[in-house]
Amino acid sequence: MSTSTPSLTQIRTQRQSSPWLWTAFSLCAITATALFFVPAFIIRPFTHQSARGLALAMNFHDHAPSVTLIAAIACFILAFALWKTVGPWRKSLLILTLLLVTFSAVMARLNYFEWMFHPITGAQFEAQSASKLDPKEMILAVRLGGEARAYPINQMAYHHVLNDVVAGVPIAVTY
Amino acid sequence: MNGRDLNFYLAGINNQNFLMRDRETGTWWQQITGKAIYGPLQGASLELVLSDELTFGQWRNESPTGQVLAPIAKYTKEYDPNWEPDVAKLPVVISFPGTELKSRDVVIGLTINGAARAYPWEEFAKQSPVVDRVNGTPLLLALGPDGKSFRVFVARIDGRDAEFFLQADAPENKENNKENNKENKDNKDWALLDTATASQWNFQGCATSGAAQGKCLDRIPALKDYWFDWRNYHPDTTIYKH
Repeated sequence: MSTSTPSLTQIRTQRQSSPWLWTAFSLCAITATALFFVPAFIIRPFTHQSARGLALAMNFHDHAPSVTLIAAIACFILAFALWKTVGPWRKSLLILTLLLVTFSAVMARLNYFEWMFHPITGAQFEAQSASKLDPKEMILAVRLGGEARAYPINQMAYHHVLNDVVAGVPIAVTY
Repeated sequence: MNGRDLNFYLAGINNQNFLMRDRETGTWWQQITGKAIYGPLQGASLELVLSDELTFGQWRNESPTGQVLAPIAKYTKEYDPNWEPDVAKLPVVISFPGTELKSRDVVIGLTINGAARAYPWEEFAKQSPVVDRVNGTPLLLALGPDGKSFRVFVARIDGRDAEFFLQADAPENKENNKENNKENKDNKDWALLDTATASQWNFQGCATSGAAQGKCLDRIPALKDYWFDWRNYHPDTTIYKH
């Protein structure tokens, strides 16, 4: 008891030296991580999305690129200011938090859905007579202004979206 | 949209119906409805282009100058040749327990002036052609000669409602289908007969012989979908019963 009391006081003095900085750091860290993780959590496959949850996710997602960047910069500045006032334990906490914040700021700029399902860029078409597709394969077919195009469903079921122009009409083919 | 071309990309998932965004405005769109659900264009709707779900064989017969999306070499191994049974095994996240269909039951969904109806695929395939009426509009749903393609038409010839029957052994499209004998036979033998003019109709909905020869039926957009997805976006849908 007698030995632990001074060290506790010691920690307390260190903590009290910068409570506002700690609060600000925590707020920035929570903001940055929440803006990435909340929408990522809500819009994940194989789960139910409620209307309110989805609206929140889209709102967070749209603000994430700018806000996570600002919050991450603020986190780094605050961590720098806190660095010398803390011991090794809290230093590692700072580093871990900064890693998480950086991860959030980077991920908020990337579309990981397109890592799972790569988009089609520069789609090529071939004459139906040249296609090796099995006659039993299912296709999505569009006919516009005398032009007929077929999109094999086994391709569309992977890519999900294709931007195309048929007879001058811009269309989005989805499956 | 408003004279501006939009380019879409996959952006997320909403109860197993995907979300896409356009690069131009960042608006979020729901796949099934084509509606902007969030962002600058919220409330807007994309115009639906009539499309078909056909077998390649059927489409090839109908589209001699057609073009096919070429396989993309670096992704071909990602494609799932078994996508249909594989997707059917995936769990569902919404269900409608009070309804008589199961979540993964396949239906043909269509909407006539706001009235939605779902046709359970199994029942449709057994009965085809199905003649029905939704919101006053007479409909003809036909399964193709290949047993997999389908189309929906307005069952009206020159303003007169008509019933349609499948005619066996109809001499149709003899020059088509040079490659595949079975396909050839299927397509050749396949024709519908209507009660109003006793004409023969092909799967494209055009009369090939009889009083209506040369006429084509109007098309109705229809979606082959899982029941849970159709029901989720069409809460007032009715289910077709024979």
